[in-house]
Parts: sequence; structure tokens; C-alpha cells
Amino acid sequence: MDNCDYKNGMLPQCAPLAMSYTPMQQCSEPAYEDKMALARGTLFPGLDLPFMNMVNKPDGLSTPLCELMALDFVVHELRLYLDTHPDDSEAFQSLQTCIRLSREGRRRYVEQYGPISIDDMRFADSYTWIDAPWPWQLRRKKED
Amino acid sequence: MFVYEKKLQYPIHIKNTNPALAKFIISQYGGPDGELGASLRYLSQRYAMPYPELSAVLTDIGTEELGHLEMVGTIVYQLTRDMKPEQIRRAGFDTYFVDHTAGVYPQFASGTPWTAATIGVKGDVITDLTEDMAAEQKARTTYDNILRLSDDPDVNDVIRFLREREIVHYQRFGEALRLATERMDEKNFYVTNPAFDR
Repeated sequence: MDNCDYKNGMLPQCAPLAMSYTPMQQCSEPAYEDKMALARGTLFPGLDLPFMNMVNKPDGLSTPLCELMALDFVVHELRLYLDTHPDDSEAFQSLQTCIRLSREGRRRYVEQYGPISIDDMRFADSYTWIDAPWPWQLRRKKED
Repeated sequence: MFVYEKKLQYPIHIKNTNPALAKFIISQYGGPDGELGASLRYLSQRYAMPYPELSAVLTDIGTEELGHLEMVGTIVYQLTRDMKPEQIRRAGFDTYFVDHTAGVYPQFASGTPWTAATIGVKGDVITDLTEDMAAEQKARTTYDNILRLSDDPDVNDVIRFLREREIVHYQRFGEALRLATERMDEKNFYVTNPAFDR
């Protein structure tokens, strides 16, 4: 059963009755690049199962905020994967790389557009935490 | 503890006011299979999880659901901004409006307020994870139904993202159940409840 492709996973050959069994995802690869992952709602093509085969395109996700959202989304997807695959050292390395990229992206975003967390106040000139837009408010497309 | 991040998980930019859509999308805020119930279900169940992977899955998915609650609230907020009384009447949004104006209130599409009666916390690993897998499917079906009813591309873009998250969560809960059963007595998974009979 080592020849499962990425859309399939392993099941026990003989399994006790009266239990349900979900196939384990085999590997954190293949994976979408970050903006595609955000657009599709998953990092993993094997789990990408759209309704009526209608999918979002990553075209609109090129603003600085969307770039940060995409990096943070990959971190989150790897985190959920690692929660059930804690011994997958490749996925763990990917997680560490993505966290570093996200840190850097966050620093650049905050410098230009304002705080994301209260920590970002530590080098600010004034208390900009309260400034609009809050996440639910419509942003002008450029800064979005 | 929880730390707030001043950003959404996925961008939302709805150009057109449309209270008729808000009227049923509110169900994923405070409805029977909505995001408020999802987050409270997982964040409440995690105390009885006897294995570390399971504590992690419930904490991390429960936290993500709080982010989805914020996203659905944002959809409703943007769909109801600058509404005119005539628009409210025509959309049939008047019954919501009279009680909540343009505030975002956790309720079913039918108007019933959010209730903890829609979630389960049984204190049993197999039972709770089985409920969680069903919950993800119920939320997925609700998002399918929203996609069937909504013709606004700005809304559907976000709904497709949220719907796909349910599928990923379903997979992770299924894997969590696998990991749990691997640690239990395979001759009889039900011989004890490892969260209680230590």
C-alpha cells in the first residue's frame, strides 16, 4: 500500500469492527504555493474538493495584506497537519521556514500600514492600535 | 489565553449591500451549524482529551473557528451597510432589523438565538471526535446551500474558502480519531473511557 498517490491515504488492512477509519494523509507534499493555498482554502491539493468544481483564483491576492494572510495561512495549515503528524520532520522544517517568512512579511506590513498585534506598538510613535480600518471595515483596495 | 490579531484569515471586500443574503448567512454566525458553535464545541471538548495530538487539534481548530466567526460577522456587516428602509422591507430583512438594526446578532437563519443545545461535549474521546466530524459535514452542507442561494461573487469567494476549511478539519478530526484508537485497546475500544477511567 506504499503506492497511494497524494489524493489517497493509508488504512489498516484488518481493522476492529465498530469504529470508523479515516485514511491518514501520507505527506505534506505536494503543496500549493502560498497565494494559491489561500485562494483554494487549503495548502494540500489532495484535500482540495470544491463544490460544483467552482474555485477561487489567486489573482486578487497580491496586496501586502493578502501576501501576509497567505504566509500565515500556510503556517496554519502546516500546524494542523503537524498536530496529527508530529514526527514529520520535512513538514516541521517547512513550518519553520514559513514562520520566518511570515515574521519578515509582518514587519514590512506593520511599518507601512499599522499594527496587527499590540506587540507592534513597542516601536510606534503614538497609539495607532485604535486606528481604522478594523478587519471588518471596507478598506481602500490599495492598502488591502 | 488568546491574543487578537487585527486582520482576517481571508480578505473580504463586498461591494454591494444586500440584506437578503445577510438574512440567511447569519446562520453561519450563530446558527445550529455555525462558527460560534464550532469554536465553543472544540474549545470546550478539549479538556477531556487524554492524548497530546488531540488537545492540539481541538485547540488549533477551535481557535481557527473564532477567526471564521469574525469572517462571517464581517460578511453580514458589509452586506447590511448603508441599508435604506425600502431595501430592508423588500429583502424581508425587517424582522431582523426591528430587533437588531444593523447589529450582528448570533442567531439561526430562522431567528432562533444561538443556543448551546446545538453543540455536544460528552467527555468521551470517540463520542466527541465523532460529533466533530459530523459537525464539519453539517457546516459544509450549510455552505453548499449558501452557494446555491447566493449570486454575489464577492460573497461566494469567501464562502468557498470557509467551505473548504470544513473539509480540511474533517480530515484532521478523522486522523485524530485514528491516533486515539491506536492508543486504545484494539480488542475492545469501548472497554473504558480513557478521559475518565485512568
